Amino acid sequence: MLFRRIYQFLIVYVLALAGLMAIKYTVGLSDYVIPGLELIRETAGRVASGYFFDVMNTLSVTVLGQLISIIMAFTVGILGRKSSWVGSFIKVMAYNIQAYPIVALAPIIFILLGDGFLSRLLIASMICYFPLLLSVLGIMAAPITDIEHFYIATGRMRWQLEVKIRAFENLSKLTTVIAGSATLAMAGTIVAEFIAADAGIGYSIRIALYQSDLAGILVALFMIGIIISIYQGMLETLGEQMKTKWSAPKGGELL
Amino acid sequence: MKMMRKILIATAGITLCLALSISPAFARDTVNYRLKWLFNTSVAGDIMADAGGFFKAAGLDVKVKEGGPEKNAIKELELGYADFGVASADQVIRALDKGADVVVLAQLFQINPMQWIYRSELPEIKRLVDLKGRNIGVTFGGNDETIMNTLLAKAGLTYNDVSISSVRFDFTPFLKKKVEIWPVYRNSQGVILEDKLAKEGESVRFFNPADYGVSFVANSVVTSGEVIKKNPERVKAFMTALMAAWEFSMDPANRDEVLAEIKKRDKNTADHIRERQLGVTRLLIKPNAGVKIGTIDRAAWIQTETIMIKEKQVKGPVHVETRLAGF
Repeated sequence: MLFRRIYQFLIVYVLALAGLMAIKYTVGLSDYVIPGLELIRETAGRVASGYFFDVMNTLSVTVLGQLISIIMAFTVGILGRKSSWVGSFIKVMAYNIQAYPIVALAPIIFILLGDGFLSRLLIASMICYFPLLLSVLGIMAAPITDIEHFYIATGRMRWQLEVKIRAFENLSKLTTVIAGSATLAMAGTIVAEFIAADAGIGYSIRIALYQSDLAGILVALFMIGIIISIYQGMLETLGEQMKTKWSAPKGGELL
Repeated sequence: MKMMRKILIATAGITLCLALSISPAFARDTVNYRLKWLFNTSVAGDIMADAGGFFKAAGLDVKVKEGGPEKNAIKELELGYADFGVASADQVIRALDKGADVVVLAQLFQINPMQWIYRSELPEIKRLVDLKGRNIGVTFGGNDETIMNTLLAKAGLTYNDVSISSVRFDFTPFLKKKVEIWPVYRNSQGVILEDKLAKEGESVRFFNPADYGVSFVANSVVTSGEVIKKNPERVKAFMTALMAAWEFSMDPANRDEVLAEIKKRDKNTADHIRERQLGVTRLLIKPNAGVKIGTIDRAAWIQTETIMIKEKQVKGPVHVETRLAGF
């Protein structure tokens, strides 16, 4: 899973680069508009190590932000799973809030939290949180009738059991959504760094943009892509392992 | 393998379409003029060239396009999306360093609007060494960082002697007094901040690098060597009309007419701010009556290039003076 993610990314990156080079040489553009391979190589030699640590810095915020958003999404998802007034209110609120662009809310966040780690973390969590929440809400609000019926009929149904049943029955969906949300958390962190922070790869991209350094941006995109592929691959592997652990052994009973 | 071939064919197809969509832009009758920033008072002459009929009178059909943070006139010149544009000197020098065919036709700002604002209650900066111990805002990667580095080097100071804060679009750290000396565009944000603080009973001073011998050139009108070669008459007509419009806009006698046209495009700025912005812009574009608008300050361009080489923003000399064509 991990290696597949990496080589899939490499194929996409190489194809995109080849496309750019084809346009550059077909139209005859200078290195200022689209940098040549030599300039990209030279820039990579100059900035790669710095950008690597920048991406790792971004990734650390991403992981934390994703963790917070998973906790938030499950909390709200569990609270909003009921078709009661409160549940429906939470759902409507979640749908409405996600319509607001985070970038528009950013100035309020900066004024309240300053432009540093906390702003990055909050924006990363928010961008990652909403798609996660929608999936979790959907899963938690859909009853697994044939299993739940038994516990309801025997009077043994509790909310914890209901959540467990729904999570277990949708384990594949949940692990896919969580792994997928890694890219959103990363994107959120980069956006936050782009507009707020003094560190991370988003901040470095902003500086490169100020200086029209497209070669630097291409190197940064490579670093982001490769590291997020590894992270996502790891999450997927973890998800697979969880599914195997939770699943019933052949011929055995459910754990 | 078949899948790979399909992907390659699709990529080639997309690339070809993109390349074809770029090429035809070279053959057009409408002249596209890409500004560096949004429509506001600092582009008064560009607005008037269009709205005041200067381009029309010269027999030109010019589309004046607003700039912005993601817009780059030099790249658009090369891609054929623009025939003329406004770019800062650092953009021109970087582009030359990377092989772009860019030519400077006129230097709009004789004084760089990129300056620093600070409260009058703070000790006045009379000499560069007065920066020592101050908390200074810089936009990392921006012009102001390069200019401040040069100023500090000139004063014999390093980053250890001052406290540098990273700056973005939000003025809050300056308003909250977390940063003492804040970089602003003198004729736009400078006026707004000055007004804001005046309402709180505070007065401000501006720190202009040019007063300390650092003349880093700002916005200039540029085109490509190809445009000049293909249609020198059009270039001459465009520049004559544009400079006439700038002269008209900077003439205090035409203030009301100019402000009315700016207002149509910059609706969100208060009238009194716009009026003061125009006054400050006039001082930066035409510092005195004897200065012809668009005059290229050759020495300042050479100094700008020297600074950028020292700051390692370009690999080596680009001989920018050979690209200062005038018109």
